[in-house]
Amino acid sequence: MRNPGINVLSIGLVRAVPAGLAAVAAGVGLAVLIRRAVGAPGWNPGPVLAVGTLTGILAYMVALGAFNYWVRWILAGKRPEEAETKTDLPRWARYFSFDLDHKVIGVQYLVTALIMLLFGVTLGFLMRYELTSPGRTIMGPNMYNHIMSLHGINQIAMILIGVSGLMNFLLPLMLGARDMPFPRLNAFSYWLLPPAGALLFASLPAGGFDTGWTVYPPLSVQAPLGMQFMILAVYLVGLSSILGGINFLTLVFKGRAPGMSLFRMPIFGWASMATSLLQMTFTQFIGMSFLMVLLERLVGMAFFVPSSGGNVVLYQHLFWFYSHPAVYVFVLPGFGIISEIIPVFSRKPIFGYAAVGLSSLGIAIGGSLVWAHHMFAAGMEPWLRIPIMITTVLVAVPTGVKVFAWISTMWMGKIRLETPMLFASTAIAVFLIGGLTGVPLGIVPADLYVTDTYYIVGHFHHTMFGGFVFPLMAAIYYWFPKVTGRFMNERLGRVHWAIMTTGFFTTFLPFFWLGLNGLRRRVYDYDPSDPFQTLNIVSTVGAGLLVTSFFLVAINIITSAIWGLRAGANPWRAKTLEWQVASPAPDENFETPPRVVDTPYGYGRPGSVHAIMSTGGAEGDN
Amino acid sequence: MTTAQAIQKMERPSASTPYFGMLLFLVSESFLFGALFWAYYYLKVKSPVWPPEGVHLETALVSANTAILLISAASMQAAILAIRKGHRKRLMLALAITILLGSAFLAIKGWEWVHSDFRPWDHAYGSIYFTITGFHGIHVLGGILLLGALLVRAGRGLFDARRHLAIEVAGLYWHYVDLVWIAVFATIFIIR
Repeated sequence: MRNPGINVLSIGLVRAVPAGLAAVAAGVGLAVLIRRAVGAPGWNPGPVLAVGTLTGILAYMVALGAFNYWVRWILAGKRPEEAETKTDLPRWARYFSFDLDHKVIGVQYLVTALIMLLFGVTLGFLMRYELTSPGRTIMGPNMYNHIMSLHGINQIAMILIGVSGLMNFLLPLMLGARDMPFPRLNAFSYWLLPPAGALLFASLPAGGFDTGWTVYPPLSVQAPLGMQFMILAVYLVGLSSILGGINFLTLVFKGRAPGMSLFRMPIFGWASMATSLLQMTFTQFIGMSFLMVLLERLVGMAFFVPSSGGNVVLYQHLFWFYSHPAVYVFVLPGFGIISEIIPVFSRKPIFGYAAVGLSSLGIAIGGSLVWAHHMFAAGMEPWLRIPIMITTVLVAVPTGVKVFAWISTMWMGKIRLETPMLFASTAIAVFLIGGLTGVPLGIVPADLYVTDTYYIVGHFHHTMFGGFVFPLMAAIYYWFPKVTGRFMNERLGRVHWAIMTTGFFTTFLPFFWLGLNGLRRRVYDYDPSDPFQTLNIVSTVGAGLLVTSFFLVAINIITSAIWGLRAGANPWRAKTLEWQVASPAPDENFETPPRVVDTPYGYGRPGSVHAIMSTGGAEGDN
Repeated sequence: MTTAQAIQKMERPSASTPYFGMLLFLVSESFLFGALFWAYYYLKVKSPVWPPEGVHLETALVSANTAILLISAASMQAAILAIRKGHRKRLMLALAITILLGSAFLAIKGWEWVHSDFRPWDHAYGSIYFTITGFHGIHVLGGILLLGALLVRAGRGLFDARRHLAIEVAGLYWHYVDLVWIAVFATIFIIR
C-alpha cells in the first residue's frame, strides 16, 4: 500500500507547514520594519503577530496548492475542465494534501474533530480535578481560568468541525451526488482549520485568555495575548463554517439525484439544510463581534468603551445573535443522525416524515429569535425580555415533535440494540433532560435565580452530549463500514457505551444540584463550609470515566480500521443511497446517478424501494 | 465534456449552480453588513448626540463618489449585455471602464479617509464609521480584482455568447456591492 517512490514534496502539508512558518517570521519582520519606519517602537507583540499570522496563513495556503486552479484559470487561460488536475497520490497521502474528494475531506474533518475532542475532554477533566477540594488542588487560579476558557472554545470549534465532517462525508452520498458543488471551496474550508487549531494550542503559551468562550468586553480587550490567538482561530473556523454552509446548501438545492424531491430526502438532508442556513448567515455576527474586540485591542477603536460613546451590551447582542443559533448548528445534524439510525434499527418507517423534516427548519427559524435569553441578567433592554421568553419556550415545540417521532418510530418496532442504536437511543434520553432543564432557563424569573450557576453548565452539557456527542458516536459506529470497509469492534463498542453513559450521568447530573445550591459557574474555588465538595468529587469520578471512554473509542477506531471484521456494502440493511454502493465508498460514488422513487424509510413495507440503481451498484464487490 | 456539463451550459445562467452559490454568498454577506448596520443603529440609539460634536462629513464629495459607483453599475451591466450578444471587444471595454470607476471610487474614499477630521479611535462613531466604510471598500477591492481576472480571460478570447457564466456571476457581485453602498450612504450621510 505504501509507495516507496513517492516524492514527499507532492504531499501538500509537507510544503505548507514550513512555508507557513517562514512566512510568519517574514510577516513579523516586515511589521517591525514598517513600525520602525513610521517612528513607532518596533516590537509590539499584538499587531506584529497579527500581521505574521495573516502572512503565515496566506503562504501556507499557497504552498498547499489551494490557489493552483485559479492561477491556471486566470493566467494560463485554460478552460475549467483543462485546469483540473488528477491526483496521482496514494490514498494515505491524499489525506495530507489539498484533495478535492468529499469523502477524503470528510475524514480529514472528522479526524481533526476527534483529536480536538480528546484534547478538550482532557482539559475538562483537569478542571474537574481542580474542583475536588477547596483551594489549590493541582493548579493556580490563572491557569484554571485559561484551561476553562480553552476547554470551552476548543469544544465549540470541535463540534463545528465534526458537524462539517459528517455532512461532508454523508450528504453527497445520501443525495446521490458525485461530489460537493464547489469541491475546491470545500477543500479550502477544511484547510483553514489546521492553522486555527495551531492558534488555539498556541494561545496557552502566548499567555492564555480568561474570558471563557464568550469573550465579553471589556475583559477580553484587556486579556493577555492569548486572546488574540483565540480570536483569529475562531475567525478561521467561522470562515470555514460560512463557506461550508454555502456549499452544503447549494448541494441540497442543486445537487440532488434525479427523482429526489425535497420530500424524498433522508432526514439528514433536512437537518443539513437547516444547519447550513444558520451557518452561512449568523456566523457573520460572531465574526463581526470578535473582529470589533480585535480592532479595540489592535487599533484602539471604541465600540465598547462607554466614555467614548461605546456600549458593551452591543457586543452581547452581536455575539448571542450567532451563538444561540450556533447550538442548533450543533444539534440539528445530531438529530438528523438519530433520525437515520432509529428507523434502520427498529425496522419501521420513520414516524411523521414531513413533520420531522420540517421541524428542522422550524428549529432553525425559531432558534434565531431567542438570542437575548442569554442576557436576561445582563442589563439588556427590559422590553425585550417577555418576547424573548415566549419565543424561547416555543422553540421547544419543534424539538418535541422530533422526540415524539423517534419514540413513535421505535414503538412496536423490531429493535436491534447494536452499538449505533445504543448510542442513538441514549442520545434521546440525554437530550430530553437537556431540553427540559432548558425550558425553566427561558422563563425570566427562574433564569434570574439560576443564571451563571452550575445548573446552566449541566443543562448545556446535556444538550451538547445528547445533541452532538452521543449522535456522533452513533454515527461513527454506524458509518465506519462505509468509510473503511470494516466494522468497529462491537464488544469494545458496548463497553465504550456503558462507560460513557455511566460517566456522563455521574459527571453532569450533580451539576443541577450544585447549581441550585448556588455554586457559581467558572469559579476556581468554593467555601469549604458550603455543601459542594461531595458532589464535586462524585462529578470528577464521572469525568474520569467519561475521558476514559473517549480514549476507548479512539483505540477502537484505530484498531478496527486495521483489523476490524470486513463489512459488506449494506451491513445494516439500510435503504439510504450511501449503503447502495460498495464499502468503502468508491471514488466516483455512483457509476450513473441513481433514480429516486420514494423516501428511504420504507422499512417493513414489502417491495418498498428508495432508488433504482444502475447495474452493479449494491452487489458491488461483495 | 460530460453530458451533464453540456446540459448545464445550455441552461439559463440564473439556474446554474455557480449563480446559486453566488446568491447564497451574497445572502451571507448581507448578514455581515447587517451586523455592522445593527451596531451603527444600536450605538446611535444609545448615544445622546449622534454623530458626536465636531464630526464633519464630506457629504458633497461622497455624493459625487456615489454617482461614480452607480455609473460603474451601468458599465457592468453593459459588459454583461455585450457578451450575451457575443461582442468581445465591447465586453473588454465595459469591464475596463468598470474597473477604472471602481478604482476611482476607492481613491476618493481613501482621500476622504486620510483627510477626515476624526480618527477611528476618537469615539464609537469614528470606530463604526471607519469599519463600515472599510468593509465596503474591501468588497469593492475584491470586485476590482475579480473583474481584472475576467478581463485577462476575456483578452484571451475565452468568453463568447454561450460561455460567459463567470461574467454573469461577477456582475451579480458587483451590483450587490453597489447596493450595499447605497445602504451605507443612506445610513451614514442621509439618515445619520
